[in-house]
Amino acid sequence: MANLLWLQGGACSGNTMSFLNAEEPSACDLVNDFGINVLWHPSLGVELGENLRKLLRDLVSGAIPLDIFVFEGTVVNAPGGTGEWNRFAGRPMKDWVADLCKAAGFVVAVGDCATWGGIPATAPNPSDSQGLQFLKREHGGFLGKDFTSKAGLPVINVPGCPAHPDWITQIVVAVATGRTADITLDEFQRPKTFFQSFTQTGCTRNMHFAYKVSATEFGQRKGCLFYDLGCRGPMTHSPCNRILWNRQSSKTRAGMPCLGCTEPEFPFFDLAPGTVFKTQTVMGIPKDMPNGVDKKGYIALTAAAKNAAPRWAEEDIFVV
Amino acid sequence: MSAQIQTLDISPVGRVEGDLDVRVEITNGIVTNAWTQAELFRGFEIILRDKDPQAGLVVTPRACGICGASHLTCAAWALDTAWQTEVPRNAILARNLGQIVESLQSQPRYFYGLYAIDLTNKNYRKSKYYEEAVKRFAPFTGTSYELGVTISGKPVEIYALLGGQWPHSSYMVPGGVMCAPTLTDVTRAWSILEYFKKNWLESCWLGCTLERYEQIKSYEDFMAWLDESPAHANSDLGFYWRMGLDIGLHKFGGGVGRYISWGYLPHEDKYQKPTIEGRNAALIMKSGVYDGKIDTHTLMSQEHALENTTHAWYDEGGADVHPFDRTTRATQKNTTDFAGAYSWATAVNHDQYGRLEAGPFARQLVAGGKHGEAWQHYDPFVLDMYKKMGGPSLHLRQIARMHETIKLYRQAEHCLKEFRLNEPWYIKPREKDGRGWGATEAIRGALCHWIEVKDGKIKNYQIVAPTTWNVGPRDSKGIRGPIEEALVGTPIADPSDPVEVGHVARSFDSCLVCTVHAHDGKTGKELARFRIG
Repeated sequence: MANLLWLQGGACSGNTMSFLNAEEPSACDLVNDFGINVLWHPSLGVELGENLRKLLRDLVSGAIPLDIFVFEGTVVNAPGGTGEWNRFAGRPMKDWVADLCKAAGFVVAVGDCATWGGIPATAPNPSDSQGLQFLKREHGGFLGKDFTSKAGLPVINVPGCPAHPDWITQIVVAVATGRTADITLDEFQRPKTFFQSFTQTGCTRNMHFAYKVSATEFGQRKGCLFYDLGCRGPMTHSPCNRILWNRQSSKTRAGMPCLGCTEPEFPFFDLAPGTVFKTQTVMGIPKDMPNGVDKKGYIALTAAAKNAAPRWAEEDIFVV
Repeated sequence: MSAQIQTLDISPVGRVEGDLDVRVEITNGIVTNAWTQAELFRGFEIILRDKDPQAGLVVTPRACGICGASHLTCAAWALDTAWQTEVPRNAILARNLGQIVESLQSQPRYFYGLYAIDLTNKNYRKSKYYEEAVKRFAPFTGTSYELGVTISGKPVEIYALLGGQWPHSSYMVPGGVMCAPTLTDVTRAWSILEYFKKNWLESCWLGCTLERYEQIKSYEDFMAWLDESPAHANSDLGFYWRMGLDIGLHKFGGGVGRYISWGYLPHEDKYQKPTIEGRNAALIMKSGVYDGKIDTHTLMSQEHALENTTHAWYDEGGADVHPFDRTTRATQKNTTDFAGAYSWATAVNHDQYGRLEAGPFARQLVAGGKHGEAWQHYDPFVLDMYKKMGGPSLHLRQIARMHETIKLYRQAEHCLKEFRLNEPWYIKPREKDGRGWGATEAIRGALCHWIEVKDGKIKNYQIVAPTTWNVGPRDSKGIRGPIEEALVGTPIADPSDPVEVGHVARSFDSCLVCTVHAHDGKTGKELARFRIG
């Protein structure tokens, strides 16, 4: 039996909604079959007011053990480091977070806001938001780079806007069933099992990428979204085309460019004018290359690809 | 004669999106005054300033994880009106379908996950329905809870077929949609709908076919349906109806008695050249304001909406301001002062009707009006219930909400039927400067975005969400907001566990994160103070 508490700071509940879409295991399975004891959750918890505050105090004091602390949303520091713009159960949420992280066996940051700061931390970051242990690419965040939970691990980061339900449930189950040795983390403390491969891995448009055949506009039945429409699939770490969304699809399969939302820089270019759904180029060459490819290699590759492209690649392929 | 007033600060009220704190004053066991506080400010409107005109398509769905499709719908239509785009028929259908399936998702998830578990509160132990309520509605283990919460993920599988994932796709764009669905997508979507209908909507919620339920047009029809068969009476709808009456949910939680809907689901043949002015005549579900005090319906349009920040944490003066003229200047030191400012939510007013309630209840009362175009959707059921049950209550608010499920289902079928797969899904627009407005009805009510694009970037972006209407604080005249008003008259059986306050707040399906600047917090005063006055 593992006690789990889930709280939200500067959040939209997107990760909660995503989590509730889970199957194999479903949210109810976690409780009924995997021995996760959900002490409280903002959308699911029964207690309100003083009854909840008592529970929180007991967790902070250690009277009730807190095995897993899941945090969704940013840590809000405004105004002036007080955190008063995000108050919860009678005090700034950031104060609860500091206390609960000290008491927790494991701390799991779910979604971009809790991992890197996400949308709320987009310039000018009005709420002075941070992720738990990162702000964008910068290690440290709210808890500081040396933070480890009682079990000796740093914050386990499950990024994404939102995170996929399977990413959440698999990590929670691993922690609850004593399989943390199987969780290897990358430099951004993301579980490698999900974030070693790329969004492009398994994309149905890979052949078009290979032959440099571009989807030049939305709503087309062919082409790769990388060349014109700003898709970040080749340089984004995620399993979105291996572990499909809602058991059906992924953004790129549906014709939407990947926004790179599992990476610390999301939203890229701070959404500056001209950067949304448009590939950023210098002299016709994409500013951001597929991961690990240099400019020279890219030019050679795409020239060869264009020369080799078969005629079918220019015709509609995802036909009715 | 001085009554003893008990002040109760409830922080947080859980199971609303975001965080809600409520202060109530209780006199002789009944709430006599109330204040709702939204206490999280993320400043999305500030983030959007000077960004790419399309930034709203990425940012605003992330204002709210539950109604991201609704925000996306508003963001796309707002740009369409600003850029004067042409939106192909298929794209209107694909946007509507996304909006509809998100709303369908919310129905069982909200009812079981956020609302019905309170029926298992010890407060109701004396009800003859209590044991059955625990069996069905207990969190995680209840028979209906587990089925309802799990199946709630199904409808949004259709969203993923269109947009790749739910939540947080941005597949709706000015000029149409990004996707171009195929036969596979449409067939799967049908099958997912059928699954949802067969395994929950008909079998568990209604206890009858959609066709039988659709015959209900009045209070008497509903009563006849209830008595017609044990399957109806024992369905979750029948059971909830009976238990609600038994524990008195029809006796409180009414609110302001005036209602707003922007209307939604533009007809695929009537809004291909979208304009702000042309929207009302193009909608399947008509807009409107229903004034329950004088029983009148009028159309609603965006120029009537005004925001007031007298009691909110913004340094923008005390006048009513149209969102196009707002500046969103957050107060640095957001100290709670119930006589002054105490919330991040603004007080939204209609320039003629004042404070209005938004939500499915409002939509259904509007649907009962004869205003608007003759072809638009009309449904007298909830309005008839309203009149015959002596006006609004929290019980009727729930019935109205769940009543929509069947209509949403039919509209989803309509979209799938009407897709013409070989016709266009997108017409590339020309970007330009201008003002735009986009609206829809999120499951929890009226949502709209105003955008002003100048010099190729966002000059001003303003959002008024359904919960902004509902959870707003007092306005410049000191008039309570709809939830504050609905709380007045609520009986509190046990001040140490004021579940009734939770019922009322949750009956609005409050979404404080959607108000874009909201989270309830408290000042940490001790919980219950007594003062003799």
